[in-house]
Amino acid sequence: MTRPELFEMFQRMATEIAEKDFSDVTEDSNIQELGLDSLSTLELVGAMERELGVQIPDEQLVGIQTVSQLLELVEKRMSA
Amino acid sequence: MTAPHTLVEALEGLPGGEERGFRFHGLDREERYYPYAAMRDEAARRAAFLSAAGLTKGDRVALLLPENHEFVLTFLGASVGGFVPVPMYPQATFKAIDAYIDILAHIVEASDAGALVAMESNRDVVEKLQARPEMHGRRVLYAPGDFAGEPPSWSRPVVTPDDLCFLQFTSGSTNKPKGVQVTHANLVANTTSILGPQGLARTPEDVGVSWLPLFHDMGLIGFVLGTLVVDLPVVLMQTAHFARMPRMWLELITKHRGTITYAPNFAYQLVTKRVRDKDLETLDLSSLRVAGCGAEPIRAKTLKAFGERFAAAGFDSKAFLPSYGMAESCLAITFHQRETPMIVDRVDPVKMQDGIAEPSEADDALEIVSCGVPFPDHDVRVVNDRGEDVPERRVGQILARGPSVTTGYFRNEEATADAIRDGWLHTGDLGYRAGGNLYICGRVKDLIIIKGANHYPQDLEWAIGELEGVRRGNVCAFSVVRDGTEELVILAEANRADAPRLRQQIAKVVYSDFGLQVADVVISPVGTLPKTSSGKHQRRKTKLLYERGELPNHGIAPAQD
Repeated sequence: MTRPELFEMFQRMATEIAEKDFSDVTEDSNIQELGLDSLSTLELVGAMERELGVQIPDEQLVGIQTVSQLLELVEKRMSA
Repeated sequence: MTAPHTLVEALEGLPGGEERGFRFHGLDREERYYPYAAMRDEAARRAAFLSAAGLTKGDRVALLLPENHEFVLTFLGASVGGFVPVPMYPQATFKAIDAYIDILAHIVEASDAGALVAMESNRDVVEKLQARPEMHGRRVLYAPGDFAGEPPSWSRPVVTPDDLCFLQFTSGSTNKPKGVQVTHANLVANTTSILGPQGLARTPEDVGVSWLPLFHDMGLIGFVLGTLVVDLPVVLMQTAHFARMPRMWLELITKHRGTITYAPNFAYQLVTKRVRDKDLETLDLSSLRVAGCGAEPIRAKTLKAFGERFAAAGFDSKAFLPSYGMAESCLAITFHQRETPMIVDRVDPVKMQDGIAEPSEADDALEIVSCGVPFPDHDVRVVNDRGEDVPERRVGQILARGPSVTTGYFRNEEATADAIRDGWLHTGDLGYRAGGNLYICGRVKDLIIIKGANHYPQDLEWAIGELEGVRRGNVCAFSVVRDGTEELVILAEANRADAPRLRQQIAKVVYSDFGLQVADVVISPVGTLPKTSSGKHQRRKTKLLYERGELPNHGIAPAQD
């Protein structure tokens, strides 16, 4: 899966979970400013985990701030 | 079965064999089954290692163990060894680490813990904590590594009912949590009440299913310690998994034929929204005879919606069991009568502002869910500001007394004297009694009083939380005094793009639903609101930040001094 595809997946899943439009979100966007609360953010991570067949331990999510940081982590776990 | 007197005695008395025990769904998605005998053996092993680490009877042991089976086995090991576990909550994801380390440092110091047991995966946090002066001289052990191999020899202490069973640190209104002392006697009194004939009436066929965090009373007492006291097998899933996949909770109930579960209001709301029609076909909730609800205000609307949604999966709404309690009373204070329809009181919203719960059939009536009656040997009073009992349907502070109530906060006489007066726990919660049942309205100190009328911030927050672009739980309503007049301030977390629209809508809702003018609306980025470890926002702390001008407000520059 290419990075743009991964980003697109992120946008699609965020839209499903938060029931709002995420089309103006970029990779540089701060996750805390997307209008997702902490529970929804974890739900989003869970949705990506299932779709991609990876597991992301909680402690690796600590300190993740931007969308690109999250996607990098997902890519790292996919290649692990 | 005669009730045991301590958790240790309970553990000793549990049946052997493979039939009954705890099932853990781990962070690694693996399932681990521990029959009671295996839990007992492992607890004794861990007690030996803790003892060899230099701990003596009564010493506190801080636990930072996000993996449930590691937490439970180490907690029981500490209990068997006569030590006092101090559960600490794991670090929240997507958050900065510094504030978290501050709280951990405070807890190890306030509890004067002789040792900290953590997991390898928390090594980063532990090392940062070890750099703090508060950690000086305290041992660190890692689970499971430091409990491996042949256990050292040790001697089993005698644990009595008046000994401390554990310290429950509550978040409260500041970032300096206080340690509620829970004795073995408190634990046994509360859990035999909860699960006994007047409570859930545990049967040998019962199976508990829970995703609740084990560092809070509802998950720890409700599904680990209490269930051990009465021999009730449980299935525990990780809170992190519930957050990632809410429907897994219901899948586990289906798979294990769960009969008892518990959750805060928000969880019922979340799964109602998340579970799709096609998922309903694979769910079977007909085994569930108790679906408890507590730990935050209970909304009739939420539970009704859950009941309607899951009736197709065999859920019976009579399973709802609203309840009320707090860590200072171990876990529960009042319980709704099991397996009877929940009771919803409809009251006049205007009269409520004067503290009168007058029944109303009007469309705008407030719906308040009954939390039931106190347990046998326990009492509840509702009093006014002068400490006098108020009549039925008059709102006052709830006081509680009985064998479940704490002896106080650990090494904090001032806070203890403030909370427990003349043997009565002053809960700080507001409520009223009607028809013998207790109804909860809010918190004493958070009450918003404008023009002589009382407003419960929860009601305002709930209404605003329904607006598009705002999430329930991310709204905070409070009042500030300006020029001697109390004024309403609303803070909501939302996107910058939604801020102008929300400022207007919030003012409109506050006016139309409550007849109030809002003096200021602050729209802050998501993640701004200070929250407790259980995800509740901290109203007083938010107010303090607001008064200091420290809350970011989309599109509005901070005031210049």
